[in-house]
Amino acid sequence: MFSFLFRRLLVLIPTYIGITLTAFVFIRVIPGDPILVMSGERSPSPEKYAELMHAFGFDQPLWKQYFDYVGNLLQGNFGDSIVTGRPVLEEFFELFPATVELAAFALFFALIIGIPAGIIAAVKRGTFYDHTLMTISLTGFSMPLFWWALLLIVFFSGYLGWTPVSGRISALYFFDTPTGFMLIDSWLSDEEGAFKSAVMHLILPAVALGTIPMATFARQSRSAMLETLGEDFIKTARAKGLSPFKVTVVHAFRNALIPIITVIGLSVGVLLGGAILTETIFSWPGIGKWMVDSIFRRDYPVVQGGLILIATIVIMVNLTVDILYGVIDPRISKKGH
Amino acid sequence: MSVEAINNQPKQSALMAVLASFWFEFRQNRGAFYGLIFMGILLMCAFLADFISPYSPIEQYRDALKLPPVWVEGGTWAHIFGTDALGRDMLSRMIYGSRFSFYIGVIVICICLTVGVMLGLIAAFNKGFIENCIMRLMDIILAFPSLLMALALVAILGPSLLNAMIAIAIVYIPHFVRLTRAQALSELGKDYVSSSKTMGASRARLMFINVLPNCMAPLIVQATMSFSSAILDAAALGFLGMGAQAPTPEWGTMLADARQYIQSDPWMMGIPGLAILFTVLSINLIGDGLRDALDPKMKTSKT
Repeated sequence: MFSFLFRRLLVLIPTYIGITLTAFVFIRVIPGDPILVMSGERSPSPEKYAELMHAFGFDQPLWKQYFDYVGNLLQGNFGDSIVTGRPVLEEFFELFPATVELAAFALFFALIIGIPAGIIAAVKRGTFYDHTLMTISLTGFSMPLFWWALLLIVFFSGYLGWTPVSGRISALYFFDTPTGFMLIDSWLSDEEGAFKSAVMHLILPAVALGTIPMATFARQSRSAMLETLGEDFIKTARAKGLSPFKVTVVHAFRNALIPIITVIGLSVGVLLGGAILTETIFSWPGIGKWMVDSIFRRDYPVVQGGLILIATIVIMVNLTVDILYGVIDPRISKKGH
Repeated sequence: MSVEAINNQPKQSALMAVLASFWFEFRQNRGAFYGLIFMGILLMCAFLADFISPYSPIEQYRDALKLPPVWVEGGTWAHIFGTDALGRDMLSRMIYGSRFSFYIGVIVICICLTVGVMLGLIAAFNKGFIENCIMRLMDIILAFPSLLMALALVAILGPSLLNAMIAIAIVYIPHFVRLTRAQALSELGKDYVSSSKTMGASRARLMFINVLPNCMAPLIVQATMSFSSAILDAAALGFLGMGAQAPTPEWGTMLADARQYIQSDPWMMGIPGLAILFTVLSINLIGDGLRDALDPKMKTSKT
C-alpha cells in the first residue's frame, strides 16, 4: 500500500512542474506586451511602466523569472490581484467554500438520483423503466448546461416564483460568516429565515450543475451493474436464496463500485468546469465566476494562480480516487499500477 | 473478366459483408437510427443553406423586431421562427447555424484524431523516456477542467470561433492519446504483430498498417462522443462571449444574445437551445449505436 502511494506521489512531481510551467508560460505568450495588455485603455507613463515591469519581474531573464515564481509559490505567495490588490490565495480561500458548497450539493443530488436510477435500469433491463430512465439520462447528458440553467430560472424563478434568481442569500440578512459555508453560517446565526433563504438560493444552481453528472452516474452504474449481474457469484448468491435486494445491493453493487467511483472522481473536474457556467449565470460568488471575471478583466496573476490552485484540487481528487481503488479492491494496490 | 477484377472481387465482398453486418447491428438500435436521420436532415440544411433559407442570416429587418414565431400569437408566416432583437430572421439564422455545428465538430475531431493518434502510437512504440514525456504532458492538460482550460487558451489566442475550436481540440487530445496508446499496447502483445515483425516489417508499417486499424473501433466511438462535446463546449464559449463573434449565426452566440430577453421573449432562447440539445442528443445516440455495433463487449444501451 505504501509503495503504491509513494509511486503515485512520485509521478506527481513532473506533473506539478508542468502545471507551474503552463501557468508561468500562460502570462508570457499573450500576444503583445503583458503590461500594456493588463493596463488596457489607460496607457501607463514610462516611469510607471518601468516600475510595473520590475514589479512583475519581466525585466529578469526567463529562467530566473520561473524560479522566482516557483519559489514564491512554495512559500504560499501566488501574487496579488491587479484589480483588487489583494493576495490571490486570500481571495481563493474566501471564495472556495461557496464553490465547495455548490459542487457538494450538486454531487449529492447527482448521486442520490443517478445511482439508484442506474441500478433500477440494470435490474429491470429491457423494460419500460429501463428505456425511460436511459432516455432521460441521455437527454440530461446532452443538455447544454447554460441553457438548462436559464430554463430552470425561467420556470422556477420567473413563472412559479419559487426560488430567487441569483446570489447565495437574500440581501436582507446580515450575519458573520465564520466558515464561509452559507448553510452552516445561516443555521448558526440568529436571523430568522436566513437558513431557508440560503437553501432556496442553493437549490436551483445545484440542480443545474448536478444534472450532467447525474446522467453520467446513471449510465455508468447501469453498465457496471449489468456487467456484475452476469457474473457467476451472483448466480451463487441467488441460488443460496438471498433476497433480490441483498443480491443487488450487497453483492452486485459493491463489485460495480470501481467504475462508478472512477466516474465520480472524473466528475469533480466536470463539476469545477460546470461551476464556471453555473456560477456566472446564477451570480454565485465562487471560484468559477472569479476565474471568468478575471479572464475578462485580464487580471492575469489571478488567472495564473487560480489555474494552479484548481489543478491542485483536481490532482488531489484523482489521487484520492486511486487510493480508494486500493481500499475497495486490494488486488490493485498489491499488483502495483 | 480481367485478372485484377477477379483478385479484387473477394476482397470487396468481404468488406461489403463487414459493412452489411455493421449496418444490421446498427439498425437494431432505434435511437441511433433516429439520430442518424436527424443528423442527415441537419447536414442537408448545412449544405443547402444558401438555397433553403428564406432570408439572409445577418440582414436586419428594422420593421419586424422581436417578432414571435408563427405558433405564438402575433407571429407571421413571413418569419416562421420569428425575428431576434435586431430583426434578423431566426429560421435563416438557425439554418446557417447548423453549418457552424458541423464545422466545429469536424475540425475539432480532425485535429484530435491526427495529433492524438500520432502521439498515442509514438508513446506505445517508444517505451521509456518519450512515452513518459508524452503521457505526463497529457496528465498536465487533464489536470485543468476542460472548459476552464479552453477559456484560458481563448483568452490568450483572442476570442474567435477558430481559436475556440483550436482550444477545444487541445483540451480533448489527451483522451485520444490515452485511448490509442492503451489499444496499441494491447495489440502489440499479439501474435500477428510479432509475426509481422519477424517478417521484417518496418516500424511505420507496424504502426499504421498492422496496429492502427485494430485500434479504430474505440477511437471512432470516442470521436463521435467528442464531436458532441465539442459542439457543447463551443456553444458554451460562444455563450460566454469567447467563441464565435456577432453577427455570426452560431447557436451558442445566439443564446448569449437572447439572454437579456429571457423573461419577455423566451422562445428567442428556446429555439437555439433546443437545436443544440437535439443535435448533441442525436450524435450521442449515434455514438451509443456505434459502440454497440463495433464492440459487443462495450454494450451500454440495449440488451
